[in-house]
Amino acid sequence: MIKITNLEKFYRTEEVETIALNKLSMHVDTGEFVAIMGPSGCGKSTLLNILGMLDDPDEGSYVFNSIEVAHFNERKRADLRKHNIGFVFQSFNLIDELTVFENVELPLIYTGVTTAERVKRVEEVLDKMQIMHRRNHYPQQLSGGQQQRVAIARAVVNKPKLILADEPTGNLDSSNGNDVMELLTDLNEQGTTIIMVTHSEHDARYSHRIIRLLDGQTVMENIMV
Amino acid sequence: MFKNYIKTAFRSLYKNKGFTAINILGLALGLTTCLLIVLYVVDELSYDHYNVNHERIYRVNEDLKLGDNKVDYAVCMPPLAKTLKAEYPYVIEAARIKAAGTTHVKKGDLSIVENHIAFTDASIFSVFTLPMINGNPKTALSEPNTVVITETTAKKYFNTTDAIGKIIVFNDKENYKVTGVIKDVPKQSHFNFDFFVSLESFPDSRSNEWLRSDYNTYVLLKDKSYANQLNAAFPAFLQKFSGSQMQSELNMSYDQFEKNGSYFRLNLIALDDIHLKSNRSGELGPNGTTQYVYIFSAIALFILLIACVNFMNLSTARSANRAREVGVRKVLGSSRQHLIFQFLAESVMVTLFATIIAVLAAAVLLPVFNQIAGKDIVLTVQSFKWLAPSVFAIVIIVGTLAGSYPAFFLSGFQPIAVLKGKLSAGFKGSFLRSFLVVFQFSISILLIVGTLVIYNQLNFIQTKNLGYNRNQVLIVQNLGELGNQAGVFKQELSHLPGVSNSTMTGFLPTSNWKNTRIFFKDATLNQKQSLFPQTWEVDADWIPTLDMKMVQGRNFSKNISTDSSAIVINEAAAKFLGYKNAINQQLYQSLGGKTEISNTVIYHVIGVVKDFHFNSLREKIEPVILKMGQNNGALSIRLNASNLPALMAQIKAKWAGLSPNVQINYSFMDQDFDAAYRSEQRIGKIFVIFTTLAIVIACLGLFGLAAYAAEQRTKEIGIRKVLGADVSAIVAMLSKDFVKLVLLSIIIASPLAWYLMNKWLQDFAYRINIHWWVIAIAGAGALAIAIITISFQSFKAALANPVNSLKDQ
Repeated sequence: MIKITNLEKFYRTEEVETIALNKLSMHVDTGEFVAIMGPSGCGKSTLLNILGMLDDPDEGSYVFNSIEVAHFNERKRADLRKHNIGFVFQSFNLIDELTVFENVELPLIYTGVTTAERVKRVEEVLDKMQIMHRRNHYPQQLSGGQQQRVAIARAVVNKPKLILADEPTGNLDSSNGNDVMELLTDLNEQGTTIIMVTHSEHDARYSHRIIRLLDGQTVMENIMV
Repeated sequence: MFKNYIKTAFRSLYKNKGFTAINILGLALGLTTCLLIVLYVVDELSYDHYNVNHERIYRVNEDLKLGDNKVDYAVCMPPLAKTLKAEYPYVIEAARIKAAGTTHVKKGDLSIVENHIAFTDASIFSVFTLPMINGNPKTALSEPNTVVITETTAKKYFNTTDAIGKIIVFNDKENYKVTGVIKDVPKQSHFNFDFFVSLESFPDSRSNEWLRSDYNTYVLLKDKSYANQLNAAFPAFLQKFSGSQMQSELNMSYDQFEKNGSYFRLNLIALDDIHLKSNRSGELGPNGTTQYVYIFSAIALFILLIACVNFMNLSTARSANRAREVGVRKVLGSSRQHLIFQFLAESVMVTLFATIIAVLAAAVLLPVFNQIAGKDIVLTVQSFKWLAPSVFAIVIIVGTLAGSYPAFFLSGFQPIAVLKGKLSAGFKGSFLRSFLVVFQFSISILLIVGTLVIYNQLNFIQTKNLGYNRNQVLIVQNLGELGNQAGVFKQELSHLPGVSNSTMTGFLPTSNWKNTRIFFKDATLNQKQSLFPQTWEVDADWIPTLDMKMVQGRNFSKNISTDSSAIVINEAAAKFLGYKNAINQQLYQSLGGKTEISNTVIYHVIGVVKDFHFNSLREKIEPVILKMGQNNGALSIRLNASNLPALMAQIKAKWAGLSPNVQINYSFMDQDFDAAYRSEQRIGKIFVIFTTLAIVIACLGLFGLAAYAAEQRTKEIGIRKVLGADVSAIVAMLSKDFVKLVLLSIIIASPLAWYLMNKWLQDFAYRINIHWWVIAIAGAGALAIAIITISFQSFKAALANPVNSLKDQ
């Protein structure tokens, strides 16, 4: 599904040039659950942003579903992104002005799904995430665990092939964190590819494979059994 | 999709109630002002448009130059109207109007003073659109002693509009038959009469004199394209008709007259232009000026811009708070166009709310505004026809304009950057926002300077030594009522304690009485040596009563018989005539007909009076010649009374003794003087109001900005306080940036304000200088207001407990 080759990304300030990704190569197959780990500043988030087509690489190749996307423009990337990729953030990033239902509905609006279909699909996914009873609440009225469920519901409502999760349990206590990991595992078992950045060895154990980064390079890969 | 935008917009606005209130309030204030000014400007621009044929109606003006004297008249020669109609087939109709002065009209036993009376040709109703309710407009004024009155007047005198055949009595003796009742003349007309008396009643109307001008003359052309043709025909026309009279009166041909550097020209002014562009001698009423239309339009635009700037500033300042939403929407697949559209929808919505409030506020405030502006603007179905589409256009244009910057700015955010929180420090860096604040304050300072200068100039007019003393002078306006008894009245009053002097004449520095006559410096009546002064008939008490000073010679004396041919001139006349010593100089006046010495009157100068102002201070003092004469136009009484009510009662009793049926009609000279400057005072008041509004709106914006600046830096403030900063240091830190911007505004606005206000002052022949401290006060004022506004927010931020702000993260 994903194949990156010799990917490079630099951050420049006036004086210093920082290499975030240094000729990084990796691949992820359809249906995999991959965890990316490494110390702060090793390039995890940069990699995730590039994989999510929120950012573009300076050098190298990124093939997504057999399409070379490394130098796609913003519009093409946005189009590919909204149909194929769902995001889960550490800080949830729900829109405060919208209710649970409306937050989850948003990706469907942007992909032009009809109203009736939207209602059906949002209810379905809220049901699955067991937050149906909170559908008319605003994000501030929910606990952190509930907010992350809504965020996951929003990420999967469009039935994406790939979910990118950036420390999904980082702002949660361990019990809520385990629930979220269970949810992700379920989704993976149903066929969704998942790439997750995490600091937590515990969370990483839910994945099939751990990619460890240091200074923008892959230093080790563990296959989980 | 659209529903989602509206919903988010609504909730976002509701969530930030303070911000929304400031935005809507500021915009509503701006729009209200703007609407009122638009109504004012439209009103000014639509004068005389009620006439169906207004595009084809012209007034004939006359420009006269005689030697060094130049006069622009709004009035023309008596035979002009009928001759033009007879000579040129494309002049479909011509009509004359001659305003009558103050007249008394009898109602039962009462005598009512009426000021809006005109003599007019029967053709008046064919030229102007003055719909007749009763009577036949074609024939109504063709007979002598007939009068057409307005609806209101008919109701006032006869309690009915069915007044045909009723009799109106003017000045106790002249009977006129009502032959028509018309609808009231619209307010937006350059003339405003209640009585239209047939000119047939007035023998002078049949005069064939071509060398004098006293009739306002209007022509209705077949098409407006003929105006140029008529203008081109005027020189030959004048030569043809006035040539022979010129030969006999001035003893020269028209060509010689022009060769001497004099002229005598006719030209047309479109009816639509009279109200705003004409300010000639002999106008039928006070006109407006385009200057104020421009100034007010500019102010309206400025205030609207200030309000829009607020909107942009507050919206972009809030960008940090909205940035995350933008990021999330982008990650979820929203395109940039979607976001732009979303933010525009939001600002159009705010504008819509503001406009609704503004329309209601304008409707409620209209009567107050009318009173201040001296207007009679009414909202009718007709006005809604143009108002509704323009208001709709305002909503779209202002909404888009004000929302465009935030829309493009916010939608351009990079999603990862904002989601990582990298943009939250984006407040300080905006060059555009600084520019907009400077723009707002520059305009505010401009308006403050404008207001101060206008007020100083008005104050200057009020306190300027006018060359006479207008305080404690009572003017009996209807002295003419007493007829021969007027002298007796003056005599009787002189015995009252508290009356120190009195003078009998209608010619006063504060009255509208004007009389221009030609005088010649030498006996050959050489027009190059002519003078065209105000020529006023006064008595020997005139100069002492008005407290004027003699600079040369003496005043008239009752006891010197030769004073009947004596004149007193003012300094301006002495200067014009080139006299070092004016005493005993002679001036000549032609009695018309033959130019022979036997037919001229010789006057000798006995004194020069210090210049006194009698026109507006906009104009230079003209030459004046005073001569002795019997004129019972008014009685001006210099009072010296400690008990004014008692004295007034005595004066009224004396009046009643002589004229029991007619009420005394009086005024005070200082009030008459103030009335002459009422329009300037109105402008001053309107200016103050608009300036205040502009500053309030600008401060609302600044208030909001300061609040966001403080909010943005909450964490920084917390850290600084933990490290030992005290409140004053933090207030200074937060205020510094804004104060810099206001200082920059002062630097930009000062020269501009100085230049513009000097231009305005050029209109006054007598004017103040703009002192540096006026600009200093304006700058300091703006700065002070800005600091107060900002420090409110700064103190709030500085006094907050740092623990709360540091815990947030």
